[in-house]
Amino acid sequence: MSEDVVFNRRDFLKLAGIGAAATLSGCAQPPTDRLIPYLIAPDNILPGVATWYASTCRECPAGCGLLVKTREGRVIKVEGNPAHPVNQGALCGRGQATLQGLYNPDRIASPMAREDGAWKKITWEDALKRAAEKLGQAVRDHRGVAIITENATGSFEKLAGEWAGAAGGTHLVYEPFSYESLREANRRCFGLSAVPHFDFERAKMVVSFGADFLETFGSPVAQARGFAAMRARPESGFFVAVEPRLSLTGANADQWVAVRPGGEIALALGMARVILTEGLGAGDKSLGEAVAAYTPEAVEQQSDVPAELVQRLARRFAASRPSLAVAGGIASQSEQSVALIAAVNLLNQVAGNVGETVRFDRTLNFDAVAPFGEVQRLIQSMDAGQIDVLVVHGANPVYAAPAWSGFAAAMDKVQYRISLSGMMDETSDRCDLLLPSLHALESLGDAEPARGVWSLLQPTMKPVPMFDAHPAGDTLIALAKASGFGAFPAAWSEYLVARWQPLHKRFGAGKSWGAFWDESLARGGVWEEPDATQVKWSGSPAFAAPALKGGSGPALVLYASPNHYDGRGANKPWLQELPDPTTKAVWNSWVEIHPETAAGLGLAMGDPVKVETSAGSVTAPAYLYAGIRKDCVAIPLGQGHTAYGRYANGRGVNALDLLPASQDAASGAVAYLTARVRISKAAGPADLAMTQREKQQADRQIAQIIPVAVLLGTAPAPARRDTSESVPGGPGSSAHEVEEVEAFNSRPGKYTEPREMKPGEKTPAHAVTAYEPIHRARAARQIPISEGAYKNAQHRWAMAIDLNSCNGCQACVVACSAENNVPTVGPDLIQRGREMMWIRIERYEEKLDAAASSSRNDVRFVPMMCQQCGDAPCEPVCPVYATYHNPEGLNAQVYNRCVGTRYCSNNCPYKVRSFNFFDYSAPEKPTFAFPEPLNWQLNPDVTVRSKGVMEKCTFCVQRILEGKGNARDENRPLKDGEIQPACAQGCPTQAIVFGDLMDPESRVSKHSHGERRYWALNDLNTKPGITYLKKMERETA
Amino acid sequence: MKRALALATVVMLIATPAVASAQSFWAQLGAVKGPVQPIKFPHDIHAGKLGMDCLYCHYGAEKSPLANIPAVSICMGCHKIAVADRPEVQKLAQYWDSGKSIPWVPVYMLPSHVKFNHKRHVRAGITCQECHGPVEKMAVVYQYPSLKMGWCITCHRERQNRADSQNPTIMDCLTCHH
Repeated sequence: MSEDVVFNRRDFLKLAGIGAAATLSGCAQPPTDRLIPYLIAPDNILPGVATWYASTCRECPAGCGLLVKTREGRVIKVEGNPAHPVNQGALCGRGQATLQGLYNPDRIASPMAREDGAWKKITWEDALKRAAEKLGQAVRDHRGVAIITENATGSFEKLAGEWAGAAGGTHLVYEPFSYESLREANRRCFGLSAVPHFDFERAKMVVSFGADFLETFGSPVAQARGFAAMRARPESGFFVAVEPRLSLTGANADQWVAVRPGGEIALALGMARVILTEGLGAGDKSLGEAVAAYTPEAVEQQSDVPAELVQRLARRFAASRPSLAVAGGIASQSEQSVALIAAVNLLNQVAGNVGETVRFDRTLNFDAVAPFGEVQRLIQSMDAGQIDVLVVHGANPVYAAPAWSGFAAAMDKVQYRISLSGMMDETSDRCDLLLPSLHALESLGDAEPARGVWSLLQPTMKPVPMFDAHPAGDTLIALAKASGFGAFPAAWSEYLVARWQPLHKRFGAGKSWGAFWDESLARGGVWEEPDATQVKWSGSPAFAAPALKGGSGPALVLYASPNHYDGRGANKPWLQELPDPTTKAVWNSWVEIHPETAAGLGLAMGDPVKVETSAGSVTAPAYLYAGIRKDCVAIPLGQGHTAYGRYANGRGVNALDLLPASQDAASGAVAYLTARVRISKAAGPADLAMTQREKQQADRQIAQIIPVAVLLGTAPAPARRDTSESVPGGPGSSAHEVEEVEAFNSRPGKYTEPREMKPGEKTPAHAVTAYEPIHRARAARQIPISEGAYKNAQHRWAMAIDLNSCNGCQACVVACSAENNVPTVGPDLIQRGREMMWIRIERYEEKLDAAASSSRNDVRFVPMMCQQCGDAPCEPVCPVYATYHNPEGLNAQVYNRCVGTRYCSNNCPYKVRSFNFFDYSAPEKPTFAFPEPLNWQLNPDVTVRSKGVMEKCTFCVQRILEGKGNARDENRPLKDGEIQPACAQGCPTQAIVFGDLMDPESRVSKHSHGERRYWALNDLNTKPGITYLKKMERETA
Repeated sequence: MKRALALATVVMLIATPAVASAQSFWAQLGAVKGPVQPIKFPHDIHAGKLGMDCLYCHYGAEKSPLANIPAVSICMGCHKIAVADRPEVQKLAQYWDSGKSIPWVPVYMLPSHVKFNHKRHVRAGITCQECHGPVEKMAVVYQYPSLKMGWCITCHRERQNRADSQNPTIMDCLTCHH
């Protein structure tokens, strides 16, 4: 995009001339926009006040509940619905970015037909006529008709099924991450084909065999919440990650067992054998035969995990009751993935976890998702020319099915292909006719993401007017009607309402239909606590280690991108700019290689590397990662689109091209962990944009840990650091000094103002900075700080961030960008260090050892934003007072006063200020970040900053003001927790707590005075308003 | 060089006060000012002669940051019948009949970096006239105050200095600039 707009000198002079004219005429009456009021004022809209609607997230099948914030009839933010049983108020970054799917400038604007290879806009009438002609013909001739949908669940899935039935065709629910191995393994082991509900909260120890349950696996938000609750207990909560490549989930583990790819099965069975032979387990004792061959020594041979460690892990696993082992992630999906999951099932069975932490009550709804075998049957019939008409909605198999499946080529043989997608994705691009559907936020619908949950979607705004789209359900019904098959209600809404009648009887006893429906819409749906289905062990399949194909090179690990899921997130600039949580790379794909392997190939960070298999090759920048085994390379999925809009198209590589034809032996699922590759250095310059290149904190103590033994009182506090000896409140400082700092943080008046140094007090040698204390840099204050507004302050806003709960998922980053109109800048500017995000998650790899015998794993995540310092280094250096300290402890930044000297940023030790080097909000500039209608998302309560202005976190001051206003309207004091900045609201683990330090009962006060609290870079004496809570360090096995 | 400098000084001396005082000058004179609106809506008749409450039309002012420009339906609530024969009211009816809204010309415009909250001011007991002037006497509404920051601050500072001042952030930049 940016290449297209280049000014030549003549144009520049012309524009400069216009600018001059505009300046001159500025003296006269200024040109004005018009104020267009409503013709008829809508009942539910009061201009200036937000209206909230409940709905359901459709960015992945987990189906979290949403609260959608609208202003003047347009959606400006989505948050989690606190009442919803799936996510209980939080929402991941992908879910929050659903807004940029709604307002994506590359949505299909109208129905289109392919004529002579080019797309031509047509009317809906014409489009339906064309479709009906082909469809009617196919139905009358009893030719093949097929419809492919995503895992929509609920009524739409039923409608699509009935539609296909009436057309005499097939309905295929295509979902790339289909959990079919998991379902198949559970069918074989427990006789129940389901994705179970893993109760992390109850578990006392978790072992993950390659399941990325904090990222994409299962229901990530719910799992993250449960996991954080488990980790909050110092006496238990041990977590071991068994995987060849350390994922974000694995980075949260106390111990990383870098198992040989495919060796997970042996380890799980070996652990089960130890439990059985030593008689430790609480569960099934009859399974000894199945695991007899897996002695610790045999396990060591098959998995590289030392026999000793197998025993220690098993003993601890059995002793922690209940414990939990999970498997089934994409990265570990090999030709033996059913065997792996069955092995883990067996381990859970012998440890007595089935029914305790592995439960079949609120199972995830993947019931209708087609096994890959069915996808292949459809491919075969398409290839054989048996399908005349193909209809696709929501799914993108051309991109997401591996190249070897031949989906794209087979689809080309279908006579007439119709897409109901809203975006021009790879599958739509191969179609003949586009009938664009509304976005989920514009639609009425429902979903049954889990057992006992009937979640509703409602239109949260009128359809975005530049896109002429219809509800997918109505399109299907119209198609059937025009083609003369089936008997459907007149409209999709009628179909939906009819489907909800049984639920009305069940949940709306005594209520009229209208009342029940309105209540359900307002709540977000209806739900009940499902009964747990009791399962019995019914046998296990044969266990065998998967063989990897192709030579003796490194194994290829393909993993689901935490940002892009299966690729559907790639069209959203927020998600492209959101750093990958483990590598911090943006807008690209990369090849993760162990530094030693890379050194052997002469590769440095970012160098292009070619990865080849028998199926194909890709070239992408190398990322040197100590969190991967030396005999593996890893590539994230989700990038490498050849369509799907300007933000996705042409970014990175599609690593699926590397997969040789390979399927799970038992279920037929696509095997992702199946190939060995040849890697070589490719020509070209290093090119990988990253927001954090540094992996070590270099003794800065930004992310701190505390051994659980200290918390439990069984060990003395660790020795204090030398450098912080003289710092009040620093680690190891005296009780008196700690008190002084605490008093500073929690008391009104002068304590909310910068502290003046006492006469004769010297700055400690290590804390010398370039700035002068404010009273020395400027003249003495006219009003003493102990008087005036500062003395009367009623709040000291502050935050406590629990590093033990933060798992690095970055939902807060997306929430902040959405709330505060933070622009995206693209990879080139990020390489120059000009990212604009107000909050970042710093990750520090303290200890990462890719040996399978490794004992400790220590990766730390620190949410870093403006610390709202009490004694802020940025304030005294501002020549124009654009940044100053407000009476409530906020470190303010006044945009209209800022002249852009950037002194503040240079003097900020936390580097949390971002500068508008370009005009990201000016439509005429190539750096414009909000092309219509992306700008519809902008929060009207927050100024959109312009070029030359410094900006930073404000603790969401617009929300503070709104909260204070609401309290004043109701003539009551503020309640703790009433005001939540966007980051705290969106956090799935509630790691961020916001509140008032002057209220001793507030949660933030309690956190800030707890045993684990510390301040980042406390040596500098900046008196931060953000208190961090140390991460707990557990004993490893 | 000297002459150029002198000329520039003179131009600046003339220009600066002329621009700055334009508003207040006209305001004192009471001459016709304020933009030409698509319909000559007389505030003096509605708010003055008829004594209608400002909040009847601008109902957002006490519950929203925005005072709200009334929807055409609110006008038509009365003018379907009331004085439906007047030419200006017929213009209104034309808008209504054609299903189009009225493109009013804004009188009070704040830059986007200022967040003004009507609700807070109305609930603090400040009358509309304190900021908007004697609207009930204005045939054509014009911008009464300068809307410069100094004008806001004068009032805020006075309130802060009152002995019973309860709001420590009344003079805080962040209250309006965020």
